[in-house]
Amino acid sequence: MSVTGSRRLLMVVASIAFSLAAGSVQAQTRAETLRYVTGASVNTLDPNIPGSTREAFAVSLSTYDRLVSFGRKQLNGKWVFDLGKITGELAESYDVSPDGLKMTFRLRKDAKFQDGTPVTAEDVKWSLDRVVTAPVLGKAQLLTGSMTSADQFKVIDPLTIEVTLPKPDKLALPNLATVYPIIINSKVAKAHATADDPWALAWLKENTAGSGAYRIETFKPGEQVIMARNTAWNRGTADKSAFFKRVIVQSVPEPATRANLVERGDADLVIDLQASDVQSLEAKGKLKVTSTPQYNAVTFVSMNNQIPPFDNANVRRAVAFALPYEDMFKAALFGRGSPLFGATWADGKPSSGAYPIPQPVKLDLEKAREYLKAAGMPDGFSTTFSFNVGQASTAEPMAALVKESLAKIGIKVDIQKLPDAQMSTQINEKKLPFFTEGIVAWLPSTDYFYRNFYTGNQRWNYSSINNPELVEIAQKARFEPDAAKYEEDGIKLNAIHFSEIPQIPLWQPSQDAVMASSVEGYTYQFHRQVDYRDLNRK
Amino acid sequence: MTSATLRHAGWILRGNPLTAVAAAGVFLLALIAIFGPWIVPYDPIVSNVSQALMPPSAAHIAGTDQLGRDVFSRLIVAARLDLAIAVSAVGISFAIGAVIGAICGYAGGRLDRGVGRFVDVVMAFPLFVLAMAMVAALGNRVENIVIATAIINLPFYIRFARAEVNVRRNVGWVEAARACGDSHLSVVLRFLLPNVLPAMAVQISLNLGWAILNAAGLSFIGLGVKPPTPEWGIMVAEGARFISTGKWWLVAFPGLALMLTVLCFNLLGDGVRDILDPRMRT
Amino acid sequence: MIRAGRRFLSSLPALFGVLVFTFLLMRVLPGDPAVFFASGPNAGKEEIEVIRKQMGLNKPVPEQLMLYLYDVGSGNLGRSMMTGQLVTKDLRERLPASLELTLTALLIALLSAVPLGVLAALRPGSIIDHGVRFFCALGVCVPTFVSGLLLIYVFYYLLGLAPDPTGRVDIFASLPPRQTGFLLIDFLLAGDFDGWWAAFRQLILPALSMALFVVAPLARITRASMLVSLGSDFVRTAHSLGLPWWQVVVTYALRNAILPVITIAGIVFSTMLGANVLVEKVFSWPGVASYALDALLSSDYAPVQGFVLLMATVFVIVNLLVDILYGVADPRVTIG
Repeated sequence: MSVTGSRRLLMVVASIAFSLAAGSVQAQTRAETLRYVTGASVNTLDPNIPGSTREAFAVSLSTYDRLVSFGRKQLNGKWVFDLGKITGELAESYDVSPDGLKMTFRLRKDAKFQDGTPVTAEDVKWSLDRVVTAPVLGKAQLLTGSMTSADQFKVIDPLTIEVTLPKPDKLALPNLATVYPIIINSKVAKAHATADDPWALAWLKENTAGSGAYRIETFKPGEQVIMARNTAWNRGTADKSAFFKRVIVQSVPEPATRANLVERGDADLVIDLQASDVQSLEAKGKLKVTSTPQYNAVTFVSMNNQIPPFDNANVRRAVAFALPYEDMFKAALFGRGSPLFGATWADGKPSSGAYPIPQPVKLDLEKAREYLKAAGMPDGFSTTFSFNVGQASTAEPMAALVKESLAKIGIKVDIQKLPDAQMSTQINEKKLPFFTEGIVAWLPSTDYFYRNFYTGNQRWNYSSINNPELVEIAQKARFEPDAAKYEEDGIKLNAIHFSEIPQIPLWQPSQDAVMASSVEGYTYQFHRQVDYRDLNRK
Repeated sequence: MTSATLRHAGWILRGNPLTAVAAAGVFLLALIAIFGPWIVPYDPIVSNVSQALMPPSAAHIAGTDQLGRDVFSRLIVAARLDLAIAVSAVGISFAIGAVIGAICGYAGGRLDRGVGRFVDVVMAFPLFVLAMAMVAALGNRVENIVIATAIINLPFYIRFARAEVNVRRNVGWVEAARACGDSHLSVVLRFLLPNVLPAMAVQISLNLGWAILNAAGLSFIGLGVKPPTPEWGIMVAEGARFISTGKWWLVAFPGLALMLTVLCFNLLGDGVRDILDPRMRT
Repeated sequence: MIRAGRRFLSSLPALFGVLVFTFLLMRVLPGDPAVFFASGPNAGKEEIEVIRKQMGLNKPVPEQLMLYLYDVGSGNLGRSMMTGQLVTKDLRERLPASLELTLTALLIALLSAVPLGVLAALRPGSIIDHGVRFFCALGVCVPTFVSGLLLIYVFYYLLGLAPDPTGRVDIFASLPPRQTGFLLIDFLLAGDFDGWWAAFRQLILPALSMALFVVAPLARITRASMLVSLGSDFVRTAHSLGLPWWQVVVTYALRNAILPVITIAGIVFSTMLGANVLVEKVFSWPGVASYALDALLSSDYAPVQGFVLLMATVFVIVNLLVDILYGVADPRVTIG
């Protein structure tokens, strides 16, 4: 080998080494970045703005802190939120008085807003006042925890705040851990308030003034949000700042494209894939798939109990025994979820007072025909079955199966596929006789479900059921301190539900989080979005 | 005149094999549309979930879909609906457009200007979005898809017919007809309209293919025909979402059906143009 | 120029018609946007009312229309519920994305359609002619969303040649300072050629799936007008003078045949811009059409109305430009 030859070789080696070094720097920044893709989009930075999307909620969890947050627990080997464990976030500690009427929160001394100013009880008061006073989403939420007026929040000293309640309410404390009661830097917000807008709603929609784990780098509504880590944040589970230096939340409307992105390693995490894509990605085994049944959500086939023929309980029972549950579960969800059908209840009594529980219904056309005869409609009837376009990938195969099966007992079904806005309008106006929809509760408890989804002439009472006994038990259970009595009330409610069958619970679909195998710490949260603070990369 | 045109058509077909193939294709398609439901091996609606998502085999030559329905049977049965959508949409816009356009072209004046304004308004719309909005407003039933497609085509037919009639309104034989005591209406309907028809045939043929694609696009965004009715557009739209999971038959076969149909209409339209184009006749 | 101005003025009634018609069409949609957007888990009547008020839906429709017309007159197109932004701001951000995509697609289409059309016209009735015709017909018979998804599947998923189909630029790349909004131009102005290349790569697949669809009409018109032009006296004269054939074809025949192509290209452009919807959707392209589609499905009135008005305006302007170009290219037509 000649001298020039070896020198050339040396140069080549040097340049390769250089490019490798440059490459590893780039790889490192990529490793410290989380790229999350979603079919939805972020439309506001303040989760309280009417019309906020769920993705906006997820972003606000990282940009703001709340007083408290839920812990997490392992359920069948997967991390899920734990309603029973409430830990401090901005609060260092909290007390609930023995009579349950006072909650006292002591703030962390080291907590600072992103502009470096300390978090004070004044800021907390202003923020909570805002939630119960301004025309924002949190108002209705905090109402469910008996917090309705600014008078209930009192500053004791710069680091202590007290919340008083009119009566003991189990849901008061958990409510403060939900998405809405964010703690805002009141000095900054007030500086942007106007006479028309004393709570700075307009400014906070586009800007943040929080103490959260991430600050906003870029916000392009409907396209992407890029967040950078707030290194001063130390409210994480292990008392340190969040793992990822940057988080990219990007809207990719086409579900198949999202699947491609995560499979090729261009995206790190996605939670809204089609069931068929999840199944095939799981089978390939390259990625980590965490499927958690959404145990605070339920999918129904609902019937309007006020519109004939569904005002007749026997008709509803006939439908309940004429649905091809197994086929629907397999074709629509690819079996991804926990079924709420096919149970056997010993001596016909509900097996538990929890909600929802699997119902003792299955496909039994003979029984269905008998019920139809008992309803005085042996030859069936005609109706429409509606679902919304946004749910088409699961609802469409389901609807086809419902139509086919009901035809066997003489019920002729016309399928209606409605754009999402039309569907919600018609549900609100109580115009749909027969449809499929889902519900979700942030703070799931039996009484909460029955009070919100089976009571009153309001949108979420899909079946429009009006049963005074049910309402009474549910209202009473809300403030029932005794666990055994609460369970008893729950069993009573579940028994009424089955005997009336206002609507048919089908299943709890899985939340399928598909992620790069290096991503760890994913936790299923009550808001069904990703809490970016939970995540790290090994 | 007629026999000359026929002879000319025959000559064109010999010289233009694509047109002949396309004509044969359209004929075959019509046969499938008429006899489809009687020749399919399976019921296109009945589900069989245990057989879901099977790749093509001897039993199911085009595989099965998410509900275990035979894709081949659904394709064959869908031909009738797809052709019906295309033919009725184009038929409506042609019938209304040609008459309005002819009257405007003949009468001129205020009526002509008024209709012209309307045409301008519709043409300035982004047409696909207009179709979407109409289907969303009226509800996604087959009739409404047809109506929306017809409306967005209408202005083209009006303009075309108007222009063709306008250049002919003062030619000798029209004046002769009028001199013989024919009313204006009968002059338009009996003499002028038939004369512009052949030129519009091209447009119709091209439009038929386009109408089918338009319906497919509507299906893709969820505004297509209702399930479980088989329709190519909706099958392609649903199948397209299975591409990445390797279930290629769900998009390939409906896509092929759609493609061949539109291709036949387009090539036929091209061929008709050649038959009618006077420059080619020399 | 005066004539151009007059033409523009005469198209104003059409724009007004579009405006009113869209407004009414949106009100006919059976979806109530307030109910749709009031989707929080505790959204009750109160929240619905708040949103209704925000959107001005609590007033009677004629009054809403008057207010809307007044707003439009003062340059305010309303606010989108979906993005929470002013519609004018959203459209301004997104229009360049759509324009860039459409122009690139049109350029690709023209660059392939004109040679194809010329080729077909040179040997009418030959196997080349039929081949061109078949190829063009093939392009028009695939729905754009299918060709888009297939291109992604092959070039991104299987081969890994194309960048991920998520918008205009690699998410990890830094954007050039915004000057024109056209990334290809802004990158050049900033002297960032790597960035330019990255943006260009993002553009190729969506532009291709759009271009496929419009090659046919462009090639067809090129062929037809070339046939006329090739048969004309001056081409025969040029031939007889012994000029090389390519010079005859390009300088004499094509130059005279290009006028109708320009007209059709103008029409094609404005149709493409509005028909972008599905391509933008499939490629997560942050353009105006996908914006309008999302708004339509959620009955978000203001963005749809704004989008339609914008498209109609573009339509008018493009027609005007075509007229002016016509005048420049053909001395017999005078404007001014």
